[in-house]
Amino acid sequence: MSFVDIDNLHINLGEFRLNGVSLSLDRGDYLSIIGPTGAGKTIFLESIVGFWRPDQGRIILDGKEITTALPEKRHIGIVYQDYALLPHMTVYQNIAYGLKKHKPENMDEAIRRMAGSLHIDHLLHRKPTTLSGGEQQRVALARVLIVEPALLLMDEPFSALDQQTRRRARLLLKAAIRDHATTVIHITHDLDDAWALANKLAVFKDGRLLQMGALQEVFNRPKNRFVAEFVGTGFYRGTVVTGKNGNANIDLGGIVIESLDQAHNGDAVNVAIRHEDIRVTRSKPAHANGVNVVNAALKDIVPEGSSSLLDLRVDNIAIQALLPHHAMRRLDLHRGDHLYALIRKEHVKIVHFESQSNGI
Amino acid sequence: MRQITVFQLSCIGISLFITFLLVFAIASLFLVPDLEDVWKNLWSDEMRFSLKLSMLTGIVSTLMVMVFALPIGYALSRFDFPFKGFVKTILDLPVAFPELVLGLCLLLLFGNTLVGEVFRRLSVDLVFTKQGIVAAQFFTALPYASRILKSTFDYINPRLEFVSRSLGYTQRETFFNVSLPLAKNGILAATVISFARCIGTFGTVLILAGGTYMKTEVLPMTLYLNISYGNMGMALTSGIVLTTVSFIAIFIFEKAEVGI
Repeated sequence: MSFVDIDNLHINLGEFRLNGVSLSLDRGDYLSIIGPTGAGKTIFLESIVGFWRPDQGRIILDGKEITTALPEKRHIGIVYQDYALLPHMTVYQNIAYGLKKHKPENMDEAIRRMAGSLHIDHLLHRKPTTLSGGEQQRVALARVLIVEPALLLMDEPFSALDQQTRRRARLLLKAAIRDHATTVIHITHDLDDAWALANKLAVFKDGRLLQMGALQEVFNRPKNRFVAEFVGTGFYRGTVVTGKNGNANIDLGGIVIESLDQAHNGDAVNVAIRHEDIRVTRSKPAHANGVNVVNAALKDIVPEGSSSLLDLRVDNIAIQALLPHHAMRRLDLHRGDHLYALIRKEHVKIVHFESQSNGI
Repeated sequence: MRQITVFQLSCIGISLFITFLLVFAIASLFLVPDLEDVWKNLWSDEMRFSLKLSMLTGIVSTLMVMVFALPIGYALSRFDFPFKGFVKTILDLPVAFPELVLGLCLLLLFGNTLVGEVFRRLSVDLVFTKQGIVAAQFFTALPYASRILKSTFDYINPRLEFVSRSLGYTQRETFFNVSLPLAKNGILAATVISFARCIGTFGTVLILAGGTYMKTEVLPMTLYLNISYGNMGMALTSGIVLTTVSFIAIFIFEKAEVGI
């Protein structure tokens, strides 16, 4: 049995609802949940912590069913986007709040140790309203981690932080989670959070769990177009034309590329290729062992932080490639350039159709 | 600087006109009477009785109002329950109800009915008694307090309560640890407004408790009785006392509201 087992969870709150969400987590797992606004992510967390009673389904934590247990009996911590610090208490009192309930020995020492590990020991006498977003976030984290919850839920805890503070916060969180071996479910809009922290990823849409699995698995083999677009993976329809050496040649409607995955001749399949797994060169490589090489025209360049998204046209097929800035500078690319897109065969992932795929 | 329009000037003009009118009306209360006369009236037996009874009933009623308004305001703000809309409408009704009609309804309820009989058996006789003053003030002020407290709790982020519960505290403990301390400005505002409403209630008290000289005579009753006898000095003195209480109440309310 898994540490967390959620089975067929249904909740209808009118505007928001969950439709049969099921997932399992092992102890120490870190699950990132992504999905558009209104997908039911927050309701999902709040039903786990006990603020909404499910219409149907079961929640099992560490072998005990907690579906209808009161929130105070579940021992599940939650950190909100706005941190929900108690404004009438000091930082010290906020951190002590949950701990006070259990009245442990050396409470003061535990609070100061936790505050020190999150670098907020100099803020203990301050009121939360006088703190910056990053400081508030660390106080919220200290308050929940100090009670050592069986499961930690986080609803976009980094969304109000600037990039610099967010990076530092990720490092601190990662260290704190590792120290306490906490199982975490973390809603985020930022895929970098998932890459930095999670070992599992789930994608929600319209109250449904579209896909959940190991982080790499979801990124590399999205089940449908919606998930693919959400995790930044190209998703193309094709037909398997010839299979050789156990590999598959797939016709994407003009170009044929080879994958190391296996498929039968004539199979209609989807092909997933990560944007960053497509390389670009100006001249055709002399040797192309293990690599698909296709002619491409550069239609547009969209700068994205430390990299740029290239919108390429291969015949009539749109393919996106993500290139780091140093590669962009080296290639000196301009709209309209004719290029070669290089895609390693092992990066071409075949995704077979599912009978009940959503969002295709 | 933003351009001043005719519409803007009209709105400001109307506000200033009505404000000046009210200022002059209130000021006349303090300017017309002879201050020596007012001072003498303040120490008369009737005024001392009226002031003492008003304060006593006002404090008891306000305390009772707050004891009931807190759970009502919290329930209306936080919980969904059957007939919530109906409950809200009925609880708000006395705000729009004429005080005399409310008094009449209470007189009928607590008069020769089963409810009245039950109360009398419990040694609570509400008709033409001092206890009746408290009941009349209670029902008049309760909707104001429950409205203010509902808005106060609406302003408190429910996630603060969620987090408290996830940290091991029950709903009741969370109410006392989180909701109540955060609602302190609203509670102060509701208390002050309730007290002002209790002290100033006339119609409901007149019908339920009667306006008997030196028995159920609260400040508004002193004003009314003395106007009837043609004793303007006493009437004006009670008017000044009532106005002063209202001013202090509004001042505290405004201060508290800033922090809600």
